[in-house]
Amino acid sequence: MHLSSEQMSECILGPAGSDAARHLAECPACRAEFATLREAIGEFRGAVRYWSEREAQSVLVVPARTEETRSWIAAHQLAFALALATIFLLASILVPWYQHHQSAAANDAALLNQVDAQVSRTAPSSLEPLMKLVVERQQ
Amino acid sequence: MGLAVPVPADSEPTKARRSTPPAGGPRLSKLMELSATSGLERAIGTNVATFAGDFEELVRLYRPKVFRFALASLRDLDAAESVTQDCFLRAYQASGSFRQDCSLQTWLMQIAVNLIRDQIRSRRFQFWRRARLTAKPVDAAGHALADGACSPEDQALLNERVAAIWEAAGQLPERQRTVFLLRFVEDMDLLEIACATGMKEGTVKTHLFRALRAVRERLGGTA
Repeated sequence: MHLSSEQMSECILGPAGSDAARHLAECPACRAEFATLREAIGEFRGAVRYWSEREAQSVLVVPARTEETRSWIAAHQLAFALALATIFLLASILVPWYQHHQSAAANDAALLNQVDAQVSRTAPSSLEPLMKLVVERQQ
Repeated sequence: MGLAVPVPADSEPTKARRSTPPAGGPRLSKLMELSATSGLERAIGTNVATFAGDFEELVRLYRPKVFRFALASLRDLDAAESVTQDCFLRAYQASGSFRQDCSLQTWLMQIAVNLIRDQIRSRRFQFWRRARLTAKPVDAAGHALADGACSPEDQALLNERVAAIWEAAGQLPERQRTVFLLRFVEDMDLLEIACATGMKEGTVKTHLFRALRAVRERLGGTA
Protein backbone atom coordinates (compact mmCIF):
# COMPACT_ATOMS: atom_id res chain seq x y z
CA MET A 1 0.00 0.00 0.00
CA HIS A 2 1.58 3.31 -1.18
CA LEU A 3 1.05 6.83 0.04
CA SER A 4 -2.20 8.43 -1.06
CA SER A 5 -2.27 11.67 -3.01
CA GLU A 6 -3.20 13.59 0.14
CA GLN A 7 -0.39 12.00 2.15
CA MET A 8 2.11 12.78 -0.57
CA SER A 9 0.88 16.39 -0.67
CA GLU A 10 1.15 16.58 3.12
CA CYS A 11 4.74 15.44 2.85
CA ILE A 12 5.48 18.11 0.22
CA LEU A 13 3.76 20.87 2.16
CA GLY A 14 5.43 20.28 5.45
CA PRO A 15 7.06 17.76 7.69
CA ALA A 16 5.63 14.33 6.96
CA GLY A 17 3.52 12.67 9.62
CA SER A 18 5.04 9.74 11.48
CA ASP A 19 3.18 7.11 9.41
CA ALA A 20 4.00 8.80 6.13
CA ALA A 21 7.64 9.30 7.19
CA ARG A 22 7.93 5.64 8.13
CA HIS A 23 6.41 4.59 4.83
CA LEU A 24 8.74 6.87 2.88
CA ALA A 25 11.69 5.30 4.67
CA GLU A 26 10.53 1.81 3.78
CA CYS A 27 9.05 2.23 0.30
CA PRO A 28 11.55 3.05 -2.49
CA ALA A 29 8.77 3.78 -5.01
CA CYS A 30 7.07 6.38 -2.83
CA ARG A 31 10.44 7.79 -1.82
CA ALA A 32 11.43 8.17 -5.46
CA GLU A 33 8.14 9.79 -6.38
CA PHE A 34 8.39 12.16 -3.43
CA ALA A 35 11.95 13.09 -4.36
CA THR A 36 11.00 13.64 -7.99
CA LEU A 37 8.06 15.85 -7.11
CA ARG A 38 10.04 17.89 -4.61
CA GLU A 39 12.92 18.30 -7.02
CA ALA A 40 10.65 19.24 -9.90
CA ILE A 41 8.89 21.89 -7.85
CA GLY A 42 12.26 23.28 -6.78
CA GLU A 43 13.36 23.42 -10.42
CA PHE A 44 10.10 25.11 -11.35
CA ARG A 45 10.61 27.75 -8.67
CA GLY A 46 14.16 28.40 -9.79
CA ALA A 47 13.11 28.69 -13.43
CA VAL A 48 10.21 31.03 -12.67
CA ARG A 49 12.42 33.27 -10.55
CA TYR A 50 15.15 33.42 -13.15
CA TRP A 51 12.62 34.05 -15.91
CA SER A 52 10.89 36.77 -13.92
CA GLU A 53 14.15 38.58 -13.23
CA ARG A 54 15.04 38.46 -16.89
CA GLU A 55 11.62 39.74 -17.98
CA ALA A 56 11.71 42.46 -15.32
CA GLN A 57 14.96 43.75 -16.75
CA SER A 58 13.44 43.98 -20.21
CA VAL A 59 10.41 45.81 -18.81
CA LEU A 60 12.43 48.22 -16.74
CA VAL A 61 14.54 49.38 -19.67
CA VAL A 62 11.66 50.44 -21.92
CA PRO A 63 9.31 52.20 -19.50
CA ALA A 64 12.11 54.31 -18.09
CA ARG A 65 12.07 56.39 -21.23
CA THR A 66 8.28 56.36 -21.44
CA GLU A 67 7.94 57.57 -17.88
CA GLU A 68 10.48 60.27 -18.57
CA THR A 69 8.51 61.40 -21.61
CA ARG A 70 5.26 61.29 -19.69
CA SER A 71 6.64 63.27 -16.80
CA TRP A 72 8.12 65.85 -19.18
CA ILE A 73 4.77 66.23 -20.91
CA ALA A 74 2.99 66.43 -17.58
CA ALA A 75 5.36 69.09 -16.36
CA HIS A 76 4.81 71.17 -19.49
CA GLN A 77 1.07 70.69 -19.79
CA LEU A 78 0.32 74.31 -18.89
CA ALA A 79 2.91 75.58 -21.35
CA PHE A 80 1.40 73.40 -24.09
CA ALA A 81 -2.08 74.66 -23.31
CA LEU A 82 -0.94 78.29 -23.34
CA ALA A 83 0.94 77.84 -26.61
CA LEU A 84 -2.10 76.25 -28.24
CA ALA A 85 -4.39 79.02 -26.99
CA THR A 86 -2.00 81.66 -28.34
CA ILE A 87 -1.89 79.96 -31.74
CA PHE A 88 -5.68 79.82 -31.90
CA LEU A 89 -5.99 83.45 -30.84
CA LEU A 90 -3.47 84.65 -33.41
CA ALA A 91 -5.09 82.55 -36.09
CA SER A 92 -8.53 83.94 -35.29
CA ILE A 93 -7.18 87.50 -35.66
CA LEU A 94 -4.76 87.07 -38.56
CA VAL A 95 -6.86 84.96 -40.90
CA PRO A 96 -9.81 87.45 -41.22
CA TRP A 97 -7.36 90.36 -41.43
CA TYR A 98 -5.43 88.65 -44.22
CA GLN A 99 -8.61 87.81 -46.10
CA HIS A 100 -9.80 91.44 -45.80
CA HIS A 101 -6.42 92.69 -46.93
CA GLN A 102 -6.45 90.42 -49.96
CA SER A 103 -9.92 91.54 -51.09
CA ALA A 104 -9.00 95.24 -50.66
CA ALA A 105 -5.90 94.75 -52.81
CA ALA A 106 -7.98 93.06 -55.48
CA ASN A 107 -10.46 95.97 -55.50
CA ASP A 108 -7.64 98.47 -55.76
CA ALA A 109 -6.14 96.61 -58.69
CA ALA A 110 -9.48 96.54 -60.52
CA LEU A 111 -9.98 100.27 -59.95
CA LEU A 112 -6.50 101.06 -61.21
CA ASN A 113 -7.09 99.01 -64.34
CA GLN A 114 -10.30 100.92 -64.94
CA VAL A 115 -8.57 104.28 -64.47
CA ASP A 116 -5.78 103.20 -66.81
CA ALA A 117 -8.29 102.30 -69.43
CA GLN A 118 -10.02 105.65 -69.06
CA VAL A 119 -6.81 107.65 -69.09
CA SER A 120 -5.37 105.86 -72.11
CA ARG A 121 -8.31 107.04 -74.27
CA THR A 122 -7.61 110.22 -76.35
CA ALA A 123 -11.31 111.02 -76.87
CA PRO A 124 -14.58 110.10 -75.19
CA SER A 125 -16.06 106.85 -76.30
CA SER A 126 -18.99 108.60 -78.09
CA LEU A 127 -16.50 110.44 -80.41
CA GLU A 128 -14.38 107.41 -81.21
CA PRO A 129 -15.99 106.80 -84.68
CA LEU A 130 -15.33 110.44 -85.66
CA MET A 131 -11.76 110.12 -84.45
CA LYS A 132 -11.28 107.09 -86.65
CA LEU A 133 -12.47 109.03 -89.73
CA VAL A 134 -10.08 111.91 -88.95
CA VAL A 135 -7.19 109.52 -88.60
CA GLU A 136 -8.03 107.80 -91.90
CA ARG A 137 -8.18 111.18 -93.80
CA GLN A 138 -4.84 112.27 -92.38
CA GLN A 139 -3.29 109.10 -93.64
CA MET B 1 20.34 17.75 -10.40
CA GLY B 2 18.14 20.67 -9.59
CA LEU B 3 18.11 24.38 -9.25
CA ALA B 4 19.28 24.26 -5.68
CA VAL B 5 16.10 25.85 -4.46
CA PRO B 6 14.67 23.81 -1.62
CA VAL B 7 10.98 23.15 -1.29
CA PRO B 8 9.19 25.74 0.89
CA ALA B 9 10.98 26.85 3.88
CA ASP B 10 10.50 30.03 5.80
CA SER B 11 13.51 31.48 4.12
CA GLU B 12 12.14 34.87 3.21
CA PRO B 13 13.14 37.65 5.56
CA THR B 14 9.65 39.05 5.35
CA LYS B 15 7.75 37.44 8.16
CA ALA B 16 5.91 39.66 10.55
CA ARG B 17 8.16 41.14 13.16
CA ARG B 18 7.16 43.39 16.01
CA SER B 19 9.32 46.23 17.17
CA THR B 20 9.00 49.40 19.18
CA PRO B 21 6.87 51.95 17.31
CA PRO B 22 9.05 54.81 16.11
CA ALA B 23 8.31 58.45 16.05
CA GLY B 24 7.18 59.65 12.65
CA GLY B 25 3.46 59.12 12.34
CA PRO B 26 1.18 56.08 12.20
CA ARG B 27 2.16 55.12 8.68
CA LEU B 28 5.81 54.97 9.52
CA SER B 29 5.30 53.14 12.77
CA LYS B 30 3.11 50.55 11.10
CA LEU B 31 5.57 50.05 8.31
CA MET B 32 8.40 49.74 10.76
CA GLU B 33 6.58 47.30 12.96
CA LEU B 34 5.35 45.12 10.21
CA SER B 35 7.94 45.31 7.53
CA ALA B 36 9.93 42.22 8.00
CA THR B 37 12.93 43.38 6.10
CA SER B 38 15.76 44.88 7.97
CA GLY B 39 16.64 46.93 4.88
CA LEU B 40 13.31 48.67 4.97
CA GLU B 41 13.59 49.30 8.68
CA ARG B 42 17.01 50.79 8.18
CA ALA B 43 15.71 52.96 5.37
CA ILE B 44 12.77 54.18 7.39
CA GLY B 45 14.91 55.05 10.38
CA THR B 46 13.33 56.51 13.44
CA ASN B 47 12.36 60.05 12.69
CA VAL B 48 14.16 61.42 9.69
CA ALA B 49 12.79 59.82 6.58
CA THR B 50 9.65 60.91 4.85
CA PHE B 51 7.05 58.39 3.84
CA ALA B 52 7.61 59.07 0.15
CA GLY B 53 11.27 58.25 0.45
CA ASP B 54 10.57 55.11 2.45
CA PHE B 55 8.00 54.02 -0.01
CA GLU B 56 10.63 54.02 -2.71
CA GLU B 57 12.60 51.60 -0.58
CA LEU B 58 9.54 49.46 -0.10
CA VAL B 59 8.97 49.37 -3.85
CA ARG B 60 12.59 48.47 -4.44
CA LEU B 61 12.38 45.58 -2.01
CA TYR B 62 9.02 44.09 -2.92
CA ARG B 63 8.61 45.01 -6.56
CA PRO B 64 10.40 41.89 -7.87
CA LYS B 65 8.17 39.61 -5.79
CA VAL B 66 4.94 41.26 -6.83
CA PHE B 67 6.02 41.38 -10.46
CA ARG B 68 7.07 37.73 -10.39
CA PHE B 69 3.78 36.62 -8.90
CA ALA B 70 1.79 38.73 -11.37
CA LEU B 71 3.83 37.49 -14.31
CA ALA B 72 3.51 33.83 -13.32
CA SER B 73 -0.21 34.27 -12.71
CA LEU B 74 -1.11 36.29 -15.81
CA ARG B 75 1.65 35.15 -18.18
CA ASP B 76 1.50 38.54 -19.84
CA LEU B 77 4.35 41.00 -19.51
CA ASP B 78 2.31 44.17 -19.95
CA ALA B 79 -0.46 43.01 -17.64
CA ALA B 80 2.05 41.96 -15.00
CA GLU B 81 3.78 45.31 -15.17
CA SER B 82 0.46 47.11 -14.96
CA VAL B 83 -0.66 45.03 -11.96
CA THR B 84 2.65 45.66 -10.21
CA GLN B 85 2.36 49.42 -10.63
CA ASP B 86 -1.28 49.42 -9.54
CA CYS B 87 -0.37 47.31 -6.55
CA PHE B 88 2.12 49.82 -5.22
CA LEU B 89 -0.12 52.74 -6.07
CA ARG B 90 -2.94 51.21 -4.06
CA ALA B 91 -0.57 50.30 -1.27
CA TYR B 92 0.56 53.89 -1.10
CA GLN B 93 -2.99 55.19 -1.10
CA ALA B 94 -4.12 52.64 1.49
CA SER B 95 -1.06 52.71 3.69
CA GLY B 96 -3.01 54.57 6.33
CA SER B 97 -5.47 51.72 6.62
CA PHE B 98 -2.81 49.02 6.78
CA ARG B 99 -3.75 46.68 9.63
CA GLN B 100 -1.15 44.93 11.67
CA ASP B 101 -2.55 41.45 11.27
CA CYS B 102 -0.14 40.37 8.56
CA SER B 103 3.31 41.15 7.23
CA LEU B 104 3.97 43.86 4.69
CA GLN B 105 4.68 41.27 2.03
CA THR B 106 1.41 39.48 2.72
CA TRP B 107 -0.45 42.76 2.58
CA LEU B 108 1.10 43.61 -0.79
CA MET B 109 0.35 40.14 -2.06
CA GLN B 110 -3.24 40.55 -0.93
CA ILE B 111 -3.52 43.66 -3.09
CA ALA B 112 -1.81 41.87 -5.98
CA VAL B 113 -4.12 38.86 -5.70
CA ASN B 114 -7.16 41.13 -5.97
CA LEU B 115 -5.72 43.05 -8.90
CA ILE B 116 -4.83 39.83 -10.71
CA ARG B 117 -8.33 38.50 -10.13
CA ASP B 118 -9.76 41.70 -11.62
CA GLN B 119 -7.36 41.47 -14.53
CA ILE B 120 -8.38 37.87 -15.27
CA ARG B 121 -12.05 38.79 -15.13
CA SER B 122 -11.64 41.74 -17.46
CA ARG B 123 -9.63 39.60 -19.83
CA ARG B 124 -12.56 37.30 -20.39
CA PHE B 125 -14.17 40.14 -22.31
CA GLN B 126 -11.00 40.95 -24.21
CA PHE B 127 -10.74 37.88 -26.38
CA TRP B 128 -9.02 39.87 -29.12
CA ARG B 129 -6.20 40.86 -26.80
CA ARG B 130 -2.89 39.10 -27.27
CA ALA B 131 -0.58 38.63 -24.35
CA ARG B 132 2.94 39.99 -24.75
CA LEU B 133 5.10 37.22 -23.48
CA THR B 134 8.56 36.91 -24.84
CA ALA B 135 9.60 33.69 -23.15
CA LYS B 136 8.51 31.07 -20.65
CA PRO B 137 10.18 29.68 -17.57
CA VAL B 138 10.93 26.61 -19.63
CA ASP B 139 13.27 28.69 -21.76
CA ALA B 140 14.85 30.11 -18.64
CA ALA B 141 15.29 26.77 -16.93
CA GLY B 142 18.41 25.93 -18.86
CA HIS B 143 19.95 29.35 -18.28
CA ALA B 144 19.26 29.10 -14.57
CA LEU B 145 21.54 26.10 -14.53
CA ALA B 146 24.06 27.50 -16.97
CA ASP B 147 26.80 27.74 -14.41
CA GLY B 148 26.30 24.21 -13.11
CA ALA B 149 27.62 21.06 -14.66
CA CYS B 150 24.59 19.58 -16.34
CA SER B 151 24.56 16.96 -19.04
CA PRO B 152 22.30 17.40 -22.07
CA GLU B 153 20.12 14.56 -20.77
CA ASP B 154 19.70 16.25 -17.42
CA GLN B 155 19.03 19.53 -19.18
CA ALA B 156 16.30 17.92 -21.28
CA LEU B 157 14.76 16.30 -18.22
CA LEU B 158 14.84 19.60 -16.37
CA ASN B 159 13.14 21.44 -19.24
CA GLU B 160 10.57 18.70 -19.47
CA ARG B 161 9.72 18.89 -15.79
CA VAL B 162 9.52 22.67 -15.72
CA ALA B 163 7.36 22.64 -18.84
CA ALA B 164 5.08 20.02 -17.30
CA ILE B 165 4.54 22.04 -14.13
CA TRP B 166 4.14 25.26 -16.12
CA GLU B 167 1.43 23.66 -18.24
CA ALA B 168 -0.23 22.04 -15.25
CA ALA B 169 -0.25 25.36 -13.39
CA GLY B 170 -1.69 27.08 -16.45
CA GLN B 171 -4.60 24.70 -16.53
CA LEU B 172 -5.39 25.00 -12.85
CA PRO B 173 -8.44 26.99 -11.78
CA GLU B 174 -7.56 30.53 -10.76
CA ARG B 175 -7.61 29.97 -6.99
CA GLN B 176 -5.60 26.77 -7.16
CA ARG B 177 -3.01 28.44 -9.35
CA THR B 178 -2.82 31.41 -7.00
CA VAL B 179 -2.20 29.30 -3.89
CA PHE B 180 0.19 27.04 -5.78
CA LEU B 181 2.32 29.99 -6.91
CA LEU B 182 2.20 31.71 -3.53
CA ARG B 183 3.30 28.52 -1.83
CA PHE B 184 5.85 27.08 -4.20
CA VAL B 185 7.25 30.15 -5.93
CA GLU B 186 6.84 32.83 -3.27
CA ASP B 187 7.51 30.51 -0.32
CA MET B 188 4.57 31.78 1.69
CA ASP B 189 3.17 29.56 4.42
CA LEU B 190 -0.45 28.52 4.66
CA LEU B 191 -1.44 31.27 7.09
CA GLU B 192 0.10 33.96 4.93
CA ILE B 193 -1.61 32.57 1.84
CA ALA B 194 -4.90 32.48 3.72
CA CYS B 195 -4.42 36.12 4.68
CA ALA B 196 -3.41 37.16 1.17
CA THR B 197 -6.26 35.35 -0.56
CA GLY B 198 -8.97 35.82 2.03
CA MET B 199 -9.52 32.06 2.26
CA LYS B 200 -9.53 29.88 5.32
CA GLU B 201 -6.41 27.89 6.01
CA GLY B 202 -8.25 24.64 5.37
CA THR B 203 -9.47 25.91 2.01
CA VAL B 204 -5.95 26.90 1.07
CA LYS B 205 -4.77 23.42 1.95
CA THR B 206 -7.51 21.82 -0.13
CA HIS B 207 -6.60 23.97 -3.12
CA LEU B 208 -2.95 23.06 -2.68
CA PHE B 209 -3.74 19.35 -2.52
CA ARG B 210 -5.71 19.59 -5.75
CA ALA B 211 -3.02 21.63 -7.43
CA LEU B 212 -0.34 19.18 -6.36
CA ARG B 213 -2.39 16.27 -7.59
CA ALA B 214 -2.69 17.93 -11.01
CA VAL B 215 1.04 18.59 -11.05
CA ARG B 216 1.82 15.01 -10.03
CA GLU B 217 -0.42 13.66 -12.74
CA ARG B 218 1.30 15.85 -15.30
CA LEU B 219 4.73 14.88 -14.05
CA GLY B 220 3.76 11.25 -14.04
CA GLY B 221 3.83 11.30 -17.81
CA THR B 222 7.19 12.96 -18.03
CA ALA B 223 9.26 12.14 -15.01
